[in-house]
Amino acid sequence: MSNSSTSDLLKPFKLKTKQQELLIRVSILCLVYILAFITRLFSVLRYESMIHEFDPYFNYRTTLYLTQHGFYDFWNWFDYESWYPLGRIVGGTLYPGLMVTAALIYRLLHFLRFAVHIREVCVLTAPFFASNTTLVAYFFGKEIWDSGAGLVAAILIAVCPGYISRSVAGSYDNEGVAIFALLFTFYLFVKAVNKGSLAWGLASAFGYFYMVSAWGGYVFIINLIPLYVLVLLITGRYSMRLYVAYNCMYILGMLLAMQIRFVGFQHVQSGEHMAAMGVFFLMQVFYFLDWVKHMLSDTKLFQEFLSITVTCAVAAGGIALGVGMASGYISPWTGRFYSLLDPTYAKDHIPIIASVSEHQPTAWSSFMFDFHILLFLFPAGLYFCFKRLSDATIFIVMYGLTSMYFAGVMVRLILVATPAVCLISAIAVSATVKNLTVLLRSKNKVAQIGSTKGTSSAKASSKASLDQSQPFQKNGAMALLFGAFYLLSRYATHCTWVTSEAYSSPSIVLAARGAHGNRVIFDDYREAYFWLRQNTPPDAKVMSWWDYGYQITAMGNRTVIVDNNTWNNTHIATVGRAMSSYEDEAYEIIRSLDVDYVLVVFGGVTGYSSDDINKFLWMVRIGGGVFPVIKEPDYLVNGEYRVDKGAAPKMLNCLMYKLSYYRFGEMMTEYGKPPGYDRARGVEIGNKDIKLEHLEEAFTTSNWIVRIYKVKPPNNRW
Amino acid sequence: MAISYILLFILSFISISRFLVISKAGAESELVADLLTLQSQSESGVIHLNDRTVSKFITSTKTPRPYSLLIFFDAIPLHDKSDLRLPVLVHDFALVASSFIANHNGSNTKLFFCDLEFRESQSSFKLFDVNSLPNIYLVGPDAESLKDDTDQMEQSGFTRLTESLVEFIESRTQLTVGPIHHSPIISKKQMVLIIGFLLIWSPFAARKIFAGETMFHNPRIWLSGAIFVYFFSVSGAMHIIIRKMPMFLMDREDPNKLIFFYQGTGVQLGLEGFMVGFLYTIVGLLLAVVTHVLVYVKDLKTKRIGMLFSVFVSFWAVKQVIFLDNWKTRYAIHGFWPSRWN
Repeated sequence: MSNSSTSDLLKPFKLKTKQQELLIRVSILCLVYILAFITRLFSVLRYESMIHEFDPYFNYRTTLYLTQHGFYDFWNWFDYESWYPLGRIVGGTLYPGLMVTAALIYRLLHFLRFAVHIREVCVLTAPFFASNTTLVAYFFGKEIWDSGAGLVAAILIAVCPGYISRSVAGSYDNEGVAIFALLFTFYLFVKAVNKGSLAWGLASAFGYFYMVSAWGGYVFIINLIPLYVLVLLITGRYSMRLYVAYNCMYILGMLLAMQIRFVGFQHVQSGEHMAAMGVFFLMQVFYFLDWVKHMLSDTKLFQEFLSITVTCAVAAGGIALGVGMASGYISPWTGRFYSLLDPTYAKDHIPIIASVSEHQPTAWSSFMFDFHILLFLFPAGLYFCFKRLSDATIFIVMYGLTSMYFAGVMVRLILVATPAVCLISAIAVSATVKNLTVLLRSKNKVAQIGSTKGTSSAKASSKASLDQSQPFQKNGAMALLFGAFYLLSRYATHCTWVTSEAYSSPSIVLAARGAHGNRVIFDDYREAYFWLRQNTPPDAKVMSWWDYGYQITAMGNRTVIVDNNTWNNTHIATVGRAMSSYEDEAYEIIRSLDVDYVLVVFGGVTGYSSDDINKFLWMVRIGGGVFPVIKEPDYLVNGEYRVDKGAAPKMLNCLMYKLSYYRFGEMMTEYGKPPGYDRARGVEIGNKDIKLEHLEEAFTTSNWIVRIYKVKPPNNRW
Repeated sequence: MAISYILLFILSFISISRFLVISKAGAESELVADLLTLQSQSESGVIHLNDRTVSKFITSTKTPRPYSLLIFFDAIPLHDKSDLRLPVLVHDFALVASSFIANHNGSNTKLFFCDLEFRESQSSFKLFDVNSLPNIYLVGPDAESLKDDTDQMEQSGFTRLTESLVEFIESRTQLTVGPIHHSPIISKKQMVLIIGFLLIWSPFAARKIFAGETMFHNPRIWLSGAIFVYFFSVSGAMHIIIRKMPMFLMDREDPNKLIFFYQGTGVQLGLEGFMVGFLYTIVGLLLAVVTHVLVYVKDLKTKRIGMLFSVFVSFWAVKQVIFLDNWKTRYAIHGFWPSRWN
């Protein structure tokens, strides 16, 4: 009775198979959307809602300015708080996409009466866009394969460490929105090529515009798409759809991209953008030839015509390029671009690029760390793509291979490769699982053959229909399915662990394990920056090594001499020289730069190893690169860097040493060790009796990580 | 009368001393002219010295000399010792020399680049007290003793010789070197040839492409290329090329043992990368074999064995890579299960 009544009640909700499938798909997508967001929240839960690292602080500060002063002031902003006394033109030297996006979200939330602080918006921008990326991945997967592959792609990209590394909550950097923009542009372009409609072409042009406004990596798009078009032309896949899509995207995208001030006329002048223009003209030649072929009925005549036209076109293109290069109208490739094509170039010619750790070539273990089992699935996915070649699969294969190559050249480009790897692996997973489940669900009567994994099972079964059904076939398929799910669950475990342990530390708040295994938090950086904000005059100038420049301006709201935008090497070298000189010499430099406070980072008490003493040799090197009075050997003993009694005399008396170890000689840091025992380097310091003449200690944080000194005014003259 | 004698004496003294000055200047300009001719005779502008010319240009001239000499110490028998990298350094040195000469339009007489070869000029090596290679000395205008008054370039500079040599020269001699002229990969003549070839070839290629009968229309070639690019990237071949990593290391404690795997993230050895790259690739390749080749096999037993074999190999490959990764990075990756599950 009750049974029948409930079934009567449920009758209007009874769904057809198609509707059921839709419901499941939508709910999976919703779950993935939420998953992608919450897996990036480890750092917020463990610490608190704050901006990470160094560069994001600059982005945060500019966003704050944008929301407070409006877009036009932001665009024309001359920042006099950094690079004192030079200043920096901010509006013309950044990609504004990220800031504008965050400001828009902030405005929208306020319009909806959610009174959130702009910092929360900035912290959560990257996870929000990661969630959106999963949606794009779903539609992209659907476009190139089927909706199953789209779903798997969305799941894979939601937790893939290669992407999480740059999009955890708090990492408020350009890449956070740029990967979304990149994938979105590619999706729209593939859609435009498949449909051949102007509307999708237009949409992809706008996607490209967003990408250009967000990240310098747009150069990858503007070279990959022409390359793809060229491959289609060579393999005889030229079509009207391609013509419409590419022309619309290129022309409009170019015009839009030139509106970004940081790009401007580079888009038609620099060598990095020339491939796109060349392919654009080539397309016109193809179209023209097609038209002539259509008009001429005689094939022989057409071939004659063809050879003449092609020769002329190639000659004209070559001459145009040569003249452009010679007259300086087309600028040659930049070193960074060059180093991607010829990877050994950077090592020999551009030491600055070669020295940055993110620009190191990738070892196999980094691939494993960031992709895990996707690496095994990638070749399988490639194989499936080649089995079902279409314009869309050709695109994803090209995207995957080029970005894989670049990821091999530079560690940080793993980020660009991640969406492609996820999509191609998703094809492999989806196709395999689909085949296995088809096998499981099929009736025993249908004859099948041993290929349980293949896509060609239908074709093969018709071919070998006389084969008897194999006895263990279903069990085999079941075992393989379990194997696949086991692998995928290992992937999920790996991703969660990596996200939690490796990619979620803010690096501005430090965590360590205490003696009893409990977590100890050192919040000294923010303590120091807020001290600066509260206790120093608003126009005070703070000198520190460039790593901390963005943070001091953003959190301390004080003017700095140098910051992380390392555009002026001489200025940085001046600071390096001051830090490595004796106090009275340094005082001259400090006075000439109008410095009021000097900030150093010191890890001797806590054992924090990336402090200024450990970075000191770089200061000496950079300072010595411009001012030859600073010589590295003066600070070394037999080529060895020491801070204990055996250290070089210049080392023991330079400004950095004095500021770091002032009053440290009286302090007991570890039981059973003499006073003045440096825990970061594990030695007893060599100069315990430090007297300061021109500077005085103003503030030292609770764990001594940041120490701030006030510069005394000059003595009275008499 | 006496006065006139004295005057005469003074006059003659002045003229003689002037003659001496002139003759000294003449000798100096002669030496510079000799150096310039020697420099122009050499292709790169590096003057090849030997014991005789060392004494002519350095030891037997009076200080201050009107020029400095930058001397590279070379030993041809040691060129095949790869850890010294002498041929590379010789090339870099010549590159800086030719750039320096070109930037000063060949009119510079203050600094000359020279090299000394060990077998020919052993006594000069002794004069400089050079016992190890590579070595670069700057003999300034005032240097009297070759042991004590000369500037030696630091050993750390040899890893990137061109840049550090430029710094060295600019800091010690106050001369500017200017931009380094790296020789282009393709010369102008080759460029013209290539362009001409492309022009002739392009109509033929275009016709074939239009007809659709090139090898680019064969997906198999693209597939194998794709697999190669994949293998190349994930095996860290770029890492090996850029960092010039060796294929394997010798064990220091036991010279008969070879080290193939290096523990520590971010660094890898050559063979290690290729092995793991192969493991990465093999799963996909097996899948292709199973679905492409195995289905055509008639014999059911072979088919089954092939299937089982590929399943086990795939399983083993995944297992092996994960094991190696954990060993290399020393990460203990674990799930975040509720603690009572353990």
